[in-house]
Amino acid sequence: MPPPLSLLRPHDVSSGSLAVALYALLHHFPRTFPPPPPASPSGHSKASLMDPLEMQDDSKKSNKPKYSKFTQQELPACKPLLTPAIVISTFLLVGILFVPIGLASLSASQEIVELVHRYDTNCVPLADKVGFIQDTKTDKSCTRTLTVPKHMKNPIQIYYQIGDFYQNHRRYVKSRSDKQLRYKDAAHLTKDCEPEVYGADGAPIVPCGLVAWSLFNDTYTISVNKKAIEVNKKDIAWQSDKNKKFGSDVYPRNFQNGNLIGGAKLNESIPLSEQEDLIVWMRTAALPTFRKLYGRIETDIMENDQLTVVIQNNYNTYSFGGSKALVLSTTSWIGGKNNFIGVAYLTVGGFCLFLALFFVVLYMIKPRTLGDPSFLSWNRCTLDYPN
Amino acid sequence: MEAVTRLVKIRTSKTTLAIGDGANDVGMLQEADIGVGISGAEGMQAVMASDFAIAQFRFLERLLLVHGHWCYRRIAAMICYFFFKNITFGFTLFWFEAHAMFSAQPAYNDWFISFYSVAFTSLPVIALGVFDKDVSSRVCLEVPSLHQDGVNNVFFSWSRILSWMLNGMCCSIIIYFGSLNAILVQAVRQDGRVAGFDILGVTMYSCVVWTVNCQLALYISYFTWIQHFVIWGSILIWYTFLVIYGLFSPAISATAYHVFVEACAPSPLYWLSTLMIVVTALIPFFVYKISRTLYYPQYHDQVQRANSKNW
Repeated sequence: MPPPLSLLRPHDVSSGSLAVALYALLHHFPRTFPPPPPASPSGHSKASLMDPLEMQDDSKKSNKPKYSKFTQQELPACKPLLTPAIVISTFLLVGILFVPIGLASLSASQEIVELVHRYDTNCVPLADKVGFIQDTKTDKSCTRTLTVPKHMKNPIQIYYQIGDFYQNHRRYVKSRSDKQLRYKDAAHLTKDCEPEVYGADGAPIVPCGLVAWSLFNDTYTISVNKKAIEVNKKDIAWQSDKNKKFGSDVYPRNFQNGNLIGGAKLNESIPLSEQEDLIVWMRTAALPTFRKLYGRIETDIMENDQLTVVIQNNYNTYSFGGSKALVLSTTSWIGGKNNFIGVAYLTVGGFCLFLALFFVVLYMIKPRTLGDPSFLSWNRCTLDYPN
Repeated sequence: MEAVTRLVKIRTSKTTLAIGDGANDVGMLQEADIGVGISGAEGMQAVMASDFAIAQFRFLERLLLVHGHWCYRRIAAMICYFFFKNITFGFTLFWFEAHAMFSAQPAYNDWFISFYSVAFTSLPVIALGVFDKDVSSRVCLEVPSLHQDGVNNVFFSWSRILSWMLNGMCCSIIIYFGSLNAILVQAVRQDGRVAGFDILGVTMYSCVVWTVNCQLALYISYFTWIQHFVIWGSILIWYTFLVIYGLFSPAISATAYHVFVEACAPSPLYWLSTLMIVVTALIPFFVYKISRTLYYPQYHDQVQRANSKNW
């Protein structure tokens, strides 16, 4: 069957073109058709339709390779082609799926009550902040009052949020010994822990390294309407950390007894697997601004309650310009308060619906039949080119 | 014969193809850019000196028009896609460094990075480079001007290469900033726990694997069981690897220990953010493909459509 001439471009017909010259040349020889799959009832492996050149090989052994759909690249296939129907229905589908998810996420996020209170600037004197914080003898307690804007249902999570602290810096992340944390007799494996390796008496520090050394040590005592409430500090670390990464027979030794104190001291009679503050701290954060779980309040807090927080402002973020904040937040199925995911779903869903509408309108204004060769530029002015 | 070939090659600066079947053609075959040897009555001398060997002279038509067209498209697409997938992956690492003081801390666990090009994204590219077809062989033979696509370098022009790279950059930006804003800094689950370095790494990496594989699924035009198997299989291999690697003791798996099973999988936020980020990253290419094939089709698009009912 000759090809539709309108698909051949006019300049293809000129003598300089290799493809058409070759085409014309080779048509002096018999055409090669791909052999149809063997279907003859007699069970011969040779196809019934044979090229004339191969007829004479019938008696001799043929070198033709065995036909298989895989080697002839004729596997059954799905060949999706973009049509306006597929395009419009894809965008509609995405839009219809995403908009409700966005609405659900946004409403869940809006229901969450979150209180963020930055206290590091208010809890130190204006002058010589670093000196104040490093002085072990001054009283560093600081009382802050917060008003609860909406009813907060229990459990209410308490976090401390630190800003500009690069827990993801390579040297910091390396500076720990996981084996030492896990195994009692691995106390001497302190290869990566520089510079916090040996204590004052020359024995290795357990846990060694900068990550443990910089343990956060502010504490919060919370009372609601002048009544003290208990902060539950159990079950704040990940289970896998408590069970498998920190040993239940490893006790702190020589910790924070050097010249430079980086953070909290550890109770030497509690094994590491129960030091949940340490475990939470040692799970390194991703970005310089991060939150870590401090504890939970297991009672409800009503709207307009006065929260009084007594903060022991011990941790030194002033030397490097960091910030500290106290965060109280409820949670829902989506986690904590974050409008981003809801807004993103709504934006993408809305955009897809808009695109679906746009393509519908475009299709109605300028319909194009698929593969209609009359739109090709050389077919439009039929006076100039032979057809 | 080789002197003539050399003369033609130098004076016209065109790609030359020489075809021959005898020992006297060896010089010519080696001189030409492409040497096609015919195995047969005059022995295997020409075949051993050639780039392509065919059994009969008439197979040259298929070699040029069918396999030439397919292979040109496949190789050009494979190279462009390779750039795309590695740029998408590499730039997420780069954007993370901007937030880690450029201290060379990788955003992912070491073994994730090692296996990226080996296990999670290698088979689909091979499927693209070996099996992809835009039109059937019958159409290739009937419309020989499709061969001109290769002569005019339609599929491997600088604009194509650079636009695939730009696509990779955009995908990496969407993936990185999307993951960041979705799962940090608040809690990721109802029990109040937050996402650390490990969960961010797993989320971003999952988005990268999904995006590059689905991008390939959007690009190719010929889906056999092989393509389905390698594309969806690669994504499955990633999750399987994550679970199995997480079962090794923390001494080996470090930050990946139980991270998927314990932290990511039970968190609806993880799945929602993966879906949103992957779809958003694929939209620009999809819109481009639509406007290109539906409203500004090139010659090969027209041929593909005209013959789509009778492949």
